[in-house]
Amino acid sequence: MIAAAAVVAVAAGAIGLGVWGVRLVRTTSDLYVASRAITPWWNAAAISGEYLSAASFLGIAGLGMKLGASVLWLPLGFAAGYLALLFFVAAPLRRFGAYTIPDFAEARLSSPHVRLVAAAVVLTIGGFYLVPQLKGAGLTIGSVAGTPYWVGVVAVAALVALTVALGGMRGVTYVQAYQYWVKTFGIALPACILLVHLGGLPERAALFGRELPSAPADGLVVKLDDPQRVEFPTDALYTLNGRSLRAAAGDERVLEGRLVLPAGTAVPVAEGTDAERGEEWARPIERSGPASPVFVYSLLLATFLGTMGLPHILVRFYTNPDGPAARRTTVRVLGLLGLFYLFPAVYAALGRALTPELYVEGQTDSVVLELPQAAWPGLGGELLAALTAAGAFAAFTSTSSGLLVSIAGTLSHDARRVRGGPAAGEPPVERMRRFRWAAVAGMIVPALIALAARDLDISVLVGWAFALAASTFCPLFLLGIWWRGLTARGAIAGMAAGGLIASGGIAATLVADPAPTTLSALLAQPAVASVPVAFLTMIGVSLRDPERPVATEETMLALHGPEGLGLEALRTRA
Amino acid sequence: MSEEQGPARPRTPREELAEATPHGDVYLGRLIRAQLRLSLLALGAFGGLVGSLPLLFLLWPALQDWDLLGVPVPVLVLAAPLFPLIVVIGLLYQRRADALDETFRDVVTHE
Repeated sequence: MIAAAAVVAVAAGAIGLGVWGVRLVRTTSDLYVASRAITPWWNAAAISGEYLSAASFLGIAGLGMKLGASVLWLPLGFAAGYLALLFFVAAPLRRFGAYTIPDFAEARLSSPHVRLVAAAVVLTIGGFYLVPQLKGAGLTIGSVAGTPYWVGVVAVAALVALTVALGGMRGVTYVQAYQYWVKTFGIALPACILLVHLGGLPERAALFGRELPSAPADGLVVKLDDPQRVEFPTDALYTLNGRSLRAAAGDERVLEGRLVLPAGTAVPVAEGTDAERGEEWARPIERSGPASPVFVYSLLLATFLGTMGLPHILVRFYTNPDGPAARRTTVRVLGLLGLFYLFPAVYAALGRALTPELYVEGQTDSVVLELPQAAWPGLGGELLAALTAAGAFAAFTSTSSGLLVSIAGTLSHDARRVRGGPAAGEPPVERMRRFRWAAVAGMIVPALIALAARDLDISVLVGWAFALAASTFCPLFLLGIWWRGLTARGAIAGMAAGGLIASGGIAATLVADPAPTTLSALLAQPAVASVPVAFLTMIGVSLRDPERPVATEETMLALHGPEGLGLEALRTRA
Repeated sequence: MSEEQGPARPRTPREELAEATPHGDVYLGRLIRAQLRLSLLALGAFGGLVGSLPLLFLLWPALQDWDLLGVPVPVLVLAAPLFPLIVVIGLLYQRRADALDETFRDVVTHE
């Protein structure tokens, strides 16, 4: 009940800020880039607020509880992605003054075809990033308010579409900054208070030592509403619906009803989870398996290079007034993200000791929501659980609205430009109206997919978005900004090659679910192969392209020329 | 800014840039290469540091079993100190990149 109230309060705050933003919206320029008059700290909080999605708020802790310390590479890559963005993209892209990635592609390469390909990739990345957010929303609202799955999906989709359509980006900037702080308090405060309440890390052996996750001193009761296939890691005595039963190590059973495990029994784990001993769980890398070197390096590469290619992140950089401001903003983002990412690991470690029932249910993703009440029964835990629920809600809504701004912008702006519609001469009122309709339309398809895709894995979809971004937009930016020789044909060929290899690998994993080998690690996390292929294809095709590269001195000057040279005055005089 | 532009007076770097002459291109190319060198240096510093960690843990397994304050050292290393380090690298890069821009502006505008 308290949790539901907290979620409503966060939503009301977001709507209030969005409505307030509407009154600041005056022109289309406001809608698209918030007039570029927002300070680096606001921008940095907004970028971080947009970036920290369900995958960061719930997924890292859940995956960490399931797989162990190897998941610690994930937040590191998520944060370090902004370092790559800072080194190679932030300032030049801001100076170039294109609104979106398709804008950049067309302006840099003088080709409407590149714009079309880039727009298609934006819609793919945005759509597939949006689906898992809505799915997470449906699950969280369901667990907080007890509603069916579809209620949460529809409610959050409608809320987000409304905020974006009414406020545009100006409203969203303040909403996003507010959401960042909701999320950071929502994850940091409960973690700190719980650690104090527990008097430090409890039951060290269970956390990092030799033991398997096991039932606490007073036994463990798990209610399984649906049949659940589990595997017993050790010999165990257990009671199911009042009947005493025995299982040997390695036994697989399908359990349903009331399961009681006596104190100290290693808990059976749901299908798809490995019961790892503490010492394996505490190792960030191993010679083989899910933490193999190929997987770890590929993951680091995808997150490091993929961040710059996320369309909803890049569009935010245009709200910086100039190149140096874009750099300052990015450095602040690194700090804000670093602060947030200190905490998910705390939930993963505590969850292993305090919420072992999530292993049985296969629901480790909800550890952030469940841990407070398990660690501190009573009002204290309930209040802290309300904080984490509110933070989770902020995570879905903020990332979704950022994605929707990009999708709507691409639908209303790029699709129209390609069809040869008017761009500059159109009255602002007309453009704003089209943007609003595109915001509503752009939400419908992802929401329908989310309703149908309840069983699709959140982390697979999010990981795919990163791998796809790293294999398409990352080479487009790095070569387009720093190499004059890139041609339109090279860019299209490289994006196609990288995108196909990346999505092919993920699709193969989804369909075939192969045994954990080096090859399967490569398929599930294809960046280490697809990114080099994309770069080499872009360079190779550009070098052999009969058309000469279109980068003039003026283009390079627009990208790299510092502000305040006063060249315009000279040009108009001449 | 000079008001009278006699045809005999050599063009300033600013004019070379504004008129996109080959000379202007040389100035600009120098700036781009300097910025790219800085970016690659920063990338190398960060990538070398973080990129070597998986190998370090893998090749030196004893490190993985070494505890500090009850927490295994690799977990401790990955969980906290790398984030402030990323900020420091970012800050150093930002200052240096702004300084390169500033130098270029000085060269071009002080004619």
